[in-house]
Amino acid sequence: MATRAALLAVLSASPPPRMIRVKASTFSSSSLQFQRHSRIARCFSSDTNPSLLQPPDVSRLAETARISLSPSEIEGCGAKIRQVIDWFGQLQQVDVNSVEPAIRAEMEGGNLREDAPETFDNRESIRASIPSFDELLRILWLKRFNSVLVLLPSSCLVSRFNTSVKA
Amino acid sequence: MSTTLFRTIQPNHFTLLGTALFRTRRTTRHISVRCLNQTATTQEPKPSSQPRTAPKNHGSNKLDEILRDYEAVIGIETHVQLSTSTKAFCSCPNSYGSHPNTSICPVCMGLPGALPVLSSKVVDFGVRLGLALNCELSLKSKFDRKQYFYPDLPKGYQISQFDIPIASGGYVDVDIPLEFGGGHRRFGITRVHMEEDAGKLLHSDSGDYSQVDLNRAGVPLLEIVSEPDMRSGIEAAEYGSEMQRIVRYLGVSNGNMQEGSLRCDVNISIRPIGQAEFGTKVEIKNLNAFSAMSRAIDYEITRQALLYNQGQADQIVTETRLWDEGAQKTVTMRKKEGLADYRYFPEPDLPEVILAQEYVDSIRASLPELPEAKRRRYEDMGLGIQDVLFIANDVSVAEYFDEVISKGADVKSAANWLMSDIAAYLKNEELSINDVKLTPQELAELIAAIKDETISGKIGKQILFELLAKGGTVQGLIKEKDLVQITDPVEIEKMIMKVISESPKQLEQYRSGKTKLQGFFAGQVMKMSKGKANPALLNKILLEKLNAKE
Repeated sequence: MATRAALLAVLSASPPPRMIRVKASTFSSSSLQFQRHSRIARCFSSDTNPSLLQPPDVSRLAETARISLSPSEIEGCGAKIRQVIDWFGQLQQVDVNSVEPAIRAEMEGGNLREDAPETFDNRESIRASIPSFDELLRILWLKRFNSVLVLLPSSCLVSRFNTSVKA
Repeated sequence: MSTTLFRTIQPNHFTLLGTALFRTRRTTRHISVRCLNQTATTQEPKPSSQPRTAPKNHGSNKLDEILRDYEAVIGIETHVQLSTSTKAFCSCPNSYGSHPNTSICPVCMGLPGALPVLSSKVVDFGVRLGLALNCELSLKSKFDRKQYFYPDLPKGYQISQFDIPIASGGYVDVDIPLEFGGGHRRFGITRVHMEEDAGKLLHSDSGDYSQVDLNRAGVPLLEIVSEPDMRSGIEAAEYGSEMQRIVRYLGVSNGNMQEGSLRCDVNISIRPIGQAEFGTKVEIKNLNAFSAMSRAIDYEITRQALLYNQGQADQIVTETRLWDEGAQKTVTMRKKEGLADYRYFPEPDLPEVILAQEYVDSIRASLPELPEAKRRRYEDMGLGIQDVLFIANDVSVAEYFDEVISKGADVKSAANWLMSDIAAYLKNEELSINDVKLTPQELAELIAAIKDETISGKIGKQILFELLAKGGTVQGLIKEKDLVQITDPVEIEKMIMKVISESPKQLEQYRSGKTKLQGFFAGQVMKMSKGKANPALLNKILLEKLNAKE
């Protein structure tokens, strides 16, 4: 349910089919964000109504992922994304009204760390694995597009879905 | 769209020489790669027929008249980099100035499967600052992900707090310095939240590639958002200074603006006086000193007021402007088109932050005396506001002063020594009060020795500098150099008689009306006593002798 809610937040955040030419520089100060708060909170708590699932605005998604797509790519992506959304649409049929939202892993709080520095040994391999410019573009494309679509790590997806489906 | 080439800095390629070739531009982190290349050339509109003039280009009377009709509304976002030993969510060392990309690990590099774990110290500091700013604490707050894509952000999102910050609804009290009109002001604090910093980008001067240093990625920050309560550049700068003082008093940050440990972004709009709704808000970044902040705001108020006055209010647009220190003006950095879309959602990898009431109470009990409380206490001790502001400004000076006072020294004298001779010495030698060899105990001794007339004020000054530089004790120096003030009238009289007998010519002149020569005689006697004669006594006896009839 949480996953669904999170996704809803993402999808409903992209406005109804309307192309927005956003220059890549549309970040605002955090104070502006708070105006949006009520809207997002509503998304999180709302009963999940399948009709909220709008067709993807691929251009908009690409914009937020900072990648540029050709018209033919937009078309190709659109169909794939649509499939994912439809799949979530199916999941939303499950009645989860009696289930507590599982926003995060259950840890009675208090999972804190001492402020003791420790140098990570294998830094060299991290640096060595940094891709070249060409590789980077490809990886970024995949990574960004995935994370725009599915904002939760896959490990979380599994556990959340288990919760929801059980209900 | 990423036409800019990003190369990750490899430590061994990065030399000191290399550093000099790159400008660090931290404030531009939110602009896109594409815009980066264009910023300088296309963003600033061509100068129109109505120049954006600085105040001095206008008759100041006319300008004052215009400004009188408008009110500025200013809010400030302050980012405070915390002086923890580790990053916020991993154990990588948090150390400024390390070799690029050496303080990294899978967590702060955003590698798959790595999980963040919050440092208890970050919570500790958040609670401290929240309490110091008189905020309401959220006993249960949480982290959220703020999504944006930029090369300084390895994970593709920043872990921050969105709808439930750790602290909210506080206020801060400041004193406006006398030279700016004085007075006491209270500014509201909207919220304080915990978040992580992004990495640093070094843009090559040629603009065709940038380098990425991720040592700062994941370093803990507290963001303080103020209410839009400030009305002038001075008030804003004073608010900023108070934030700096508070984080330094609390020990949560070094508050150093040059290193970027304290960063202020200013939101400013103006409106005709009497109008209830706010005008269009402009954000100013790149402020790395409080004086720059004050000047940038005053420039911006003038710019906007003139546009209003000339019927061009529509030219004030929602945008981010940069303060150009060289030109002393603000320039467009990027225009905002619509609201940003950060797609906030709860961070699933981190548990809620739950604070026990006892924990909060124990931190509250351990808070040091804060700047405002210190200022009010010093004022109650009888110090003038200028002394108060000077001493309370630097926590080390304030602690030093408190210690001198606790040794029984006269309050006003202690303040005077600190503000004049000691401050001048520190400035000349580029030292901080913690570097001097003079202990608070000995400064108290020095003040006492002058007060009970063991030594003269002049001698006191001489040995002060020796004590500052070399240390030692006041009593030791007085003995060693035989500096005890001469307060025996008989001895002083002897010296006076000797001087008078050696200067018959001056005596004659004096007696024929040139009474200014008293100074000459006093100087001679003082010289003879090696500065040790009690001046009051000396003058009294000298006058008697000079005016005595033969």
